[in-house]
Amino acid sequence: MAKYIMKRLLHTLLVIIAISMIIFFAIRLTGDPVTVMFGAGEPTKEAVEQITEKLGLDKSLPEQYFIFMKDLVQFDLGVSYRSNQPVLDLILERAWPTFLLAMGGMVVAVLIAFPVGIISAVKKGKSVDIFGRIFSLIGISFPNFWLGIMLILIFSVSLKWLPASGFDSFSALILPSLTLGLILSGILARLIRSSMLDVLKMQYITTAKSKGIKDWVVIIKHAFRNALLPTVTFMGLQFGALLGGAVIVEQVFAWPGIGRLIVDAINQRDYPVVQGGVIVLAIVMVVVNLLVDLSYSIINPRIRTGRG
Amino acid sequence: MATEVLKVSDLKVGFTEDKVDVPIVNGVSFQLQQGETLGIVGESGCGKSMTSFSLMGLLPSGIHWQGGEVLLDGNPLNVTSQKEWRKIRGKKIAMIFQEPMSSLNPVYKIGNQIIEMIRNHETISKKEARVRAIEMLTLVGIPRPDKVVDEYPHQLSGGMRQRVMIAMALSCNPEILIADEPTTALDVTIQAQILELMKSIQAKMDMSIVLITHDLGVIAEVCDRVIVMYAGEVVEEASVADLFDQPKHPYTKGLLNSLPNINNEKERLETIEGVVPAPADMPSGCRFYERCPAAHEKCLVQPEFIVVDNQKVKCWLYHQ
Ligand SMILES: Nc1ncnc2c1ncn2[C@@H]1O[C@H](COP(=O)(O)OP(=O)(O)OP(=O)(O)O)[C@@H](O)[C@H]1O
Ligand SMILES: [Mg+2]
Repeated sequence: MAKYIMKRLLHTLLVIIAISMIIFFAIRLTGDPVTVMFGAGEPTKEAVEQITEKLGLDKSLPEQYFIFMKDLVQFDLGVSYRSNQPVLDLILERAWPTFLLAMGGMVVAVLIAFPVGIISAVKKGKSVDIFGRIFSLIGISFPNFWLGIMLILIFSVSLKWLPASGFDSFSALILPSLTLGLILSGILARLIRSSMLDVLKMQYITTAKSKGIKDWVVIIKHAFRNALLPTVTFMGLQFGALLGGAVIVEQVFAWPGIGRLIVDAINQRDYPVVQGGVIVLAIVMVVVNLLVDLSYSIINPRIRTGRG
Repeated sequence: MATEVLKVSDLKVGFTEDKVDVPIVNGVSFQLQQGETLGIVGESGCGKSMTSFSLMGLLPSGIHWQGGEVLLDGNPLNVTSQKEWRKIRGKKIAMIFQEPMSSLNPVYKIGNQIIEMIRNHETISKKEARVRAIEMLTLVGIPRPDKVVDEYPHQLSGGMRQRVMIAMALSCNPEILIADEPTTALDVTIQAQILELMKSIQAKMDMSIVLITHDLGVIAEVCDRVIVMYAGEVVEEASVADLFDQPKHPYTKGLLNSLPNINNEKERLETIEGVVPAPADMPSGCRFYERCPAAHEKCLVQPEFIVVDNQKVKCWLYHQ
């Protein structure tokens, strides 16, 4: 197990280095931050040079990358061009809202997708199943922002039940979580349905029934428990989609999360904030994937006992 | 005189196509005495498993009971309520299957799977159930049962898993054990061990066994009586000795001729020509007509059972 974790950590490190390179060079393709800083004004050549030098942008790209990485390993993500605040502080400030939104979305997705997926599989071909599959399809094909806007129109504008933006009360969390969760629940329900269908065909399900135990025990304890294996991996993989979705949902609902921080920073070519934000998201993602892997081995005795 | 634990009369099981009932199992009848081992033999697809699943109320979706009666200890099986079925499954009739590798749930410990069975039918503590589970594992000849009880299925070989299945099936002391091809997936030496085990436990527990197989060798090994099925029907019923000595039905003869035999110097094994007709277009006469070496015009009409030399056979050859 220790060896396995070491291997995974090494792998994780390589992934983060790769991501750091990609984001470092990609953001520099968007244009020069210094011109943006001066806005409409006509800066003197000297002023531009002075600032460029101050930001370290006069150095060669490899040199800049080296400095960036050297700071990174010391947990120094630099200072925002715009606000002069340390990037790490900015991110930590925004982490909590994003975390809340992601969890809210996950909870909504699980609450919807688990029952829909299970019932769909058990009642395969019946009207409940068809209804469930149409639901999944809608969830998969509707764009995040569209659903968000619809929910705002219905629940905030028409019914005036829930706030459309803000981050000051629990009720403000509901619509963004619903948007994110509904989208995710479509794919999740579909996955649970198909892995349940696979499992329900297995011989051990007939064995369980032949023991005379109740149907729902067979379905939950014997079938669903096995269908969870692929589902958990999938949810780990979907964590990226969850974060991606969160970025968009944060725009729609003016949610003060990391997603919005990064998008704003891209618009302002605030390199350190973009780099830092993306790196932090990437680290969170690989850590989550690692945790998912480990939890997978807890649910699957075959990996845990190291045989089979 | 031995008591009759199971009596199946004219059982019909099948699916419905265009509002017409198409039987897969068509009028199967047999009895099972206490302590007896009844073999059901027939080619793949002849309805052996369907017959056994209908005795457990475990027919696959789309397949249903179309007629007939089953008496368990003289009482008709209540086929309407799931609750009644659950009292029968595992408690009165238990079942083991062909694929020991996939018959046990991979995510639960062996002991817990047996304990679940016991606690489902009896109100006893987890501790007591665990003791019983270990006893059962000992009974089926599992080495280190107190260890294995905490192991997962993938840690055991196929033969061991089938032993675990038997231990689980017998843990509530059922009257009848249905074994659907219990040894087909195992290699020959393990096969013999499992059959041996079933025989010895049967003697200890005085239970009846329905053994389903397409292997006449297995029948010869363990059964007292045999029914031979062809295309959803019983074509012959006899004691094992009689069946091997003097098979009556041409299909039974064909099956016996296709057995490899060391005493027999024949170069090639004989096979029965042709294929089983599909359930939806069964001939109205004898179902074996197309493939039968002894077929004649009479066979275009369905023959009745006739008793010859203590054997029941469904063939015109024996009608005067
Ligand atoms: N869900 C189903 N719908 C329609 N027909 C089915 C279904 N399941 C099985 N059958 C048919 O029922 C027939 C009997 O199947 P059954 O499993 O009882 O055969 P079997 O004698 O046990 O064969 P085997 O030796 O292969 O296990 C087969 O011809 C099969 O095609
Ligand atoms: Mg079968």
